Amino acid sequence: MLFNSIDFFIFLPIVFALYWFLFYKKLKIQNVFLLSASYIFYGLWDWRFLFLILASTVVDFFVGQVIYSHNSNRKRKSWLWVSVLFNVGLLGFFKYYNFFVDSWVDFVSILGYELKSTWTLQIILPVGISFYTFQTMSYSLDIYYKRLTPTKDFISFATFVSFFPQLVAGPIERASNLLSQITTKRAFNYTQCTEGLKLILWGLFKKVVIADSIAPIVDDIFANYADYPASTLILGVSLFSFQVYGDFSGYSDIAIGTAKLFGIELMSNFKFPIFSRNVAEYWQRWHVSLSTWFRHYVYIPLGGSRVSKLKSVRNIIIIFLVSGFWHGANWTFIAWGAFHALLYIPVFLMGRNRIYMGNVVAENRWFPSLIEIGQIILTFSLVTFSRVFFRSASITDAFGFLNQIWTNFSFETYHHPLGYRMIDYFILLIIFVLYEFRIRRDERSPFKFKSKIVRFVAYTLVILGMLLFFDDNIDRSFIYFQF
Amino acid sequence: MKKLIFKSALYFFLILIGLEILVRIFHLGKDTPTRFLDEHKVEKWVPNQNGFSVTGNRRQNFSEYKINNSGYNSYREFNPTNNKVEIALVGDSFIEGFHQNYYNSIGKKVENAIPTIEVYEYGYAGYDFADQLHLVQSYKNQFNLIDHVILGIKFSNDLTRGEYKVVTGRLNLESPLNRLLKKSKLLVYCKSIGILDPPQKLIYRVKSMLRPAQKVKQLSDEEAERLKEEKDKVYLANFESLVTTYGYDKKRFTLLLDSRITSPMFLSYLKENGFSYIDFSNSFEKTDRSTTLIYDRHWNNHGRELVAKVIIDYLKQIDVTK
Repeated sequence: MLFNSIDFFIFLPIVFALYWFLFYKKLKIQNVFLLSASYIFYGLWDWRFLFLILASTVVDFFVGQVIYSHNSNRKRKSWLWVSVLFNVGLLGFFKYYNFFVDSWVDFVSILGYELKSTWTLQIILPVGISFYTFQTMSYSLDIYYKRLTPTKDFISFATFVSFFPQLVAGPIERASNLLSQITTKRAFNYTQCTEGLKLILWGLFKKVVIADSIAPIVDDIFANYADYPASTLILGVSLFSFQVYGDFSGYSDIAIGTAKLFGIELMSNFKFPIFSRNVAEYWQRWHVSLSTWFRHYVYIPLGGSRVSKLKSVRNIIIIFLVSGFWHGANWTFIAWGAFHALLYIPVFLMGRNRIYMGNVVAENRWFPSLIEIGQIILTFSLVTFSRVFFRSASITDAFGFLNQIWTNFSFETYHHPLGYRMIDYFILLIIFVLYEFRIRRDERSPFKFKSKIVRFVAYTLVILGMLLFFDDNIDRSFIYFQF
Repeated sequence: MKKLIFKSALYFFLILIGLEILVRIFHLGKDTPTRFLDEHKVEKWVPNQNGFSVTGNRRQNFSEYKINNSGYNSYREFNPTNNKVEIALVGDSFIEGFHQNYYNSIGKKVENAIPTIEVYEYGYAGYDFADQLHLVQSYKNQFNLIDHVILGIKFSNDLTRGEYKVVTGRLNLESPLNRLLKKSKLLVYCKSIGILDPPQKLIYRVKSMLRPAQKVKQLSDEEAERLKEEKDKVYLANFESLVTTYGYDKKRFTLLLDSRITSPMFLSYLKENGFSYIDFSNSFEKTDRSTTLIYDRHWNNHGRELVAKVIIDYLKQIDVTK
């Protein structure tokens, strides 16, 4: 069930009404209801894969208890490996099996041997598997690191794993934040609900107006890159930057907003990454829940930055490669991760990786300085360049795309594949960037206006934007569902 | 909770009003003229209406229409006489041309190329061949004064019936409820861009879930071909029935068709029986530019120019001005 589908707009009010009117009296009932709603939400996509979620839930629930009950580090570690191997095994089979087989066949052929790839299987990637496996693993890891006491309430734990607003594409929550809220009875809070509704509205705008309307242009340019000049290819990858941002941050806003309707606060996933002044700041603002996960469970256990410079650099490379691989079973994502490591390392070595933490561009000013504008444009350009790898179907296509930019460095006016006016999109993006800049201090309050009239006008214009850019003919699924 | 429900409802209502105002200010929704059934039971537009036709989101296509005294979209009135040379273009929405400015229609393009003639466009969305011949017969006196009549025909759509009957489905669009709904430009706009399709699709999905699944019979190629031939024969019989019932002057009447989507059997029949026709398929095939509008399958200006060109060539060929 997609957040931007009619099904969800029927499902959500029903679940909301039942939750607050019928099942609000006891915590246990609230959670049983939320769990059922979550399973229905997921089961409507494909009920067979509910068993995977259930299996992951059961394994980590019991592993958590066992790890906690043991004092011996060796035993604790062994049981932690059970959780890690089980979850990574699920991921490995459903997401990476064919990739490994194909890569092995390719590798052997490079050595001069011919192997027929008869082991590849027709495997459907279960939606959200990368997200919920990481979430359940974090539970066992936190217990292992003694940051968390395991819950004895299976229903609460199962609700934590499958909470429908963030089940299929995050934010990837840590048990210390989400589980603790699930084990506490929620009470209706008017302000929280209205904040949630505003976030849903803003998320829908980003998805319907920004991401979906740009999608046909990006699809056309990437599919026919060999026929276009450099100007068009640069336009295509730049628009993809906005598309993927609108798509994923829009999804996250809807997820966070929906959770708020049920009295639950999810962590922020996007903090206006388009205004990042260097790559390190970008990673503090883009897909925050995944970056946090890798920092907590991979980077810090490897020693983080508290080891020698050389080892720190190694850790950075590992983090980015793993992060790239997490996105998909394709060399393009690994190349994308490697490229980001290359961008990050100089910033780290210069000691500028934490200088923008906790502040935003033009913090106490109306406008950014010229230097800041330059930094933002440079960061955006580098990140956008990396997206050639992220978006291309194969590594050959990615290099083909770059080669086309290099060899056909010319300008040509681009025409929309469906014949629409291109100027509409440029105006839209300018307004969007300016508005995002206006609200850049608080990613959870997209309509922070003192005047009620201004707020009302903003709601109306946002909905008008959706009506203006809605296109019934395009694929409305979310990009990150494939991960 | 009461506060949330009350304020949500209030905001919902106010936003709807705000959107209705904005849709009207930017003229995003199309105007639809009122239709009626005249004394001859010919369905047409109520005379002397003006408005704007809009297609697509963000006014991808925006054009003015003008319904004349005869009830058709045209910049001119239809007053045929013996002294002038008149051509009638009879057809469906492609001839009606709400998707074009009424000063830029196929008829006007033909007039521009042959200034001595007047072209009367009897176009009405949904007109099939029965509608067209019934119109010609009902206004016999008028059409007898017209020098040449060109009838647009799409074989697969326009020959599904062998006699004229009033199409009540179209007239139901003028029901009080529909007229009321049409007053909301927001609703009209939302419907036109397909935003109201998902709820409708959902209803169909629910209905099909509740209904026991029916087995869809897979047809073999031979069977499908046989059924197609049978259908073509029925259409041909309908054509014969219509021309017999309502009359068809082979000397003055010409069909306008696209041979790419016309049954070869029907084309052979036309040739064998002396029905002349204008085929615009060649010029559409040759062009590498789009011939249809965005968000709409009707001809764009380029498409209309191509059709006008083949009509002009044909009229010159038969020397219509003499």
